[in-house]
Amino acid sequence: MLEISDLCAGYDGIPALRSVDFRVGPREHVAILGPNGAGKTTLLKAISGTVVPDSGSISFDGQDLLAQPPHKRVEAGIVHVPQGRMIFASMTVADNLRLGSHRAAAQNRHDERRELVFEIFPALADMAGRDGGALSGGQQQMLAVARGVMACPRLLMLDEPSMGLAPRAADDIFEGVTRLMQSETTAMVVVEQRAHQALEVCDQAYVLESGEVSLEATSRLLLADERLAAAYLGSEL
Amino acid sequence: MTEFLQFLVPGILIGGVYALLASGLGLIFGVMRVVNFAQADFMMLAMYLSWALFAGGIGMDPFLAMPGIFAVFLLLGMAIHWLFIRFVIGRHENHDAQVILTIGLGLIFQNLILIRYSSEPRVVAPSYANTGDFIGDIFISRARLYAFLLSLLVAALLFLFLNRTGTGRAIRAASENWEAATYMGINIDRTNRIAFGVGVALTAVGGAALVTFQSITPFVGLRFVVVMFAAVVLGGLGSVSGAFVGGVLIGIIQSVSQVWTSAAVKNVWVFALFLLILYVRPNGLFGKVQRAI
Repeated sequence: MLEISDLCAGYDGIPALRSVDFRVGPREHVAILGPNGAGKTTLLKAISGTVVPDSGSISFDGQDLLAQPPHKRVEAGIVHVPQGRMIFASMTVADNLRLGSHRAAAQNRHDERRELVFEIFPALADMAGRDGGALSGGQQQMLAVARGVMACPRLLMLDEPSMGLAPRAADDIFEGVTRLMQSETTAMVVVEQRAHQALEVCDQAYVLESGEVSLEATSRLLLADERLAAAYLGSEL
Repeated sequence: MTEFLQFLVPGILIGGVYALLASGLGLIFGVMRVVNFAQADFMMLAMYLSWALFAGGIGMDPFLAMPGIFAVFLLLGMAIHWLFIRFVIGRHENHDAQVILTIGLGLIFQNLILIRYSSEPRVVAPSYANTGDFIGDIFISRARLYAFLLSLLVAALLFLFLNRTGTGRAIRAASENWEAATYMGINIDRTNRIAFGVGVALTAVGGAALVTFQSITPFVGLRFVVVMFAAVVLGGLGSVSGAFVGGVLIGIIQSVSQVWTSAAVKNVWVFALFLLILYVRPNGLFGKVQRAI
């Protein structure tokens, strides 16, 4: 479904990704793990189009993605829930969700999707009229994920959904993501610092270090082999 | 008291028009962070179009011409964005180029009009231009009342557009966080183009509302540009509703200050208040940093 090969990208000449190969199959859930600054966010941004890579190729359903502007990639079904949530703080929860269904394929399904996201994150259901900026960090993260789900994504990319959250709030997010994975057949990419939780919900894992893929393995293998996990993920697991 | 009201009421009326002029500038800055120095010259062009329609044989009333003027300047603004502005914003953002580009466009507009129509002041004088009504002891000019009511109507339509339509929501989203808006599938180039067109058209309509009591020259924009920028900064950069309130406030101060001092120094009072408000609230009256519109 998503095929990336030999991708290189950087900021002002400083390389952030070096020759990355990465793939996601239909219905597959892929975790991207690794330390800060490893290039995880840059990889997602290259897929959604807010970073322009220096070389390499990205294709989605056989189409060359790099030839498409960012909004066309959303139309194709690639939805990015960015790091730091980036919800629209001055707009209500309801308007944030409505913007989530901006994608043409999602516009007619707004009401149905809204019911779905309220099932995934029941805490949001009572807050439709509140401004996004008035929510707690955990609620904002729920809104950010929910906003992505509104678009009926074919590939949903979550960038560090637990970042900056208290453990309880992070658990709530992962519960929601688990419910989402049970009810939807969407392919997903999850970038996460909390490696253990990410591995539990994903089938496949990539470890990025200094812009390079240092390990590609099934989640089951990583979870089972403590030495392997310790070697690649340090004390994070 | 009557004397005070006699100055307050026209101040509110002209303030409504200032609000309209400023809201266009504020919308453009709020959405694409471009300070459009040509904004007052779009206003000037709209005044000439209004005059041409009125004096040029058809005798069209400036207020009836308003929807047409809005449409013309919406398209002109979108064309200017497509031809020039999009190359100096976003990924290619260049503030120096923005300043030179917009000042240059303004100069070109002024001089094209100067070549075509000379610097002779033009007036639009429909039958109601110099009439008015007494409400109690207060005299209210017809032309200014119509201009004010038009401003309220346009403000209401702008509010509905920004809050109740998909395109309006997309514009607000893009102005608040263009990167997040991109992830929603919003075409930022398109929202910028529409916002630039709407911003230019708002100021154009404001200009056309002035023609029944303001004579028109190629350089008339210079008289209003300061007021427009002051209103936008006073209300809070990036806030369209703030620009609106700022415009009304400036109209009131300009007018009410004439109770005590000569009309020649009315802008001194405007800037005294301007400095005072920015001293107390550096972001302007409604300037919350994260809130864009």
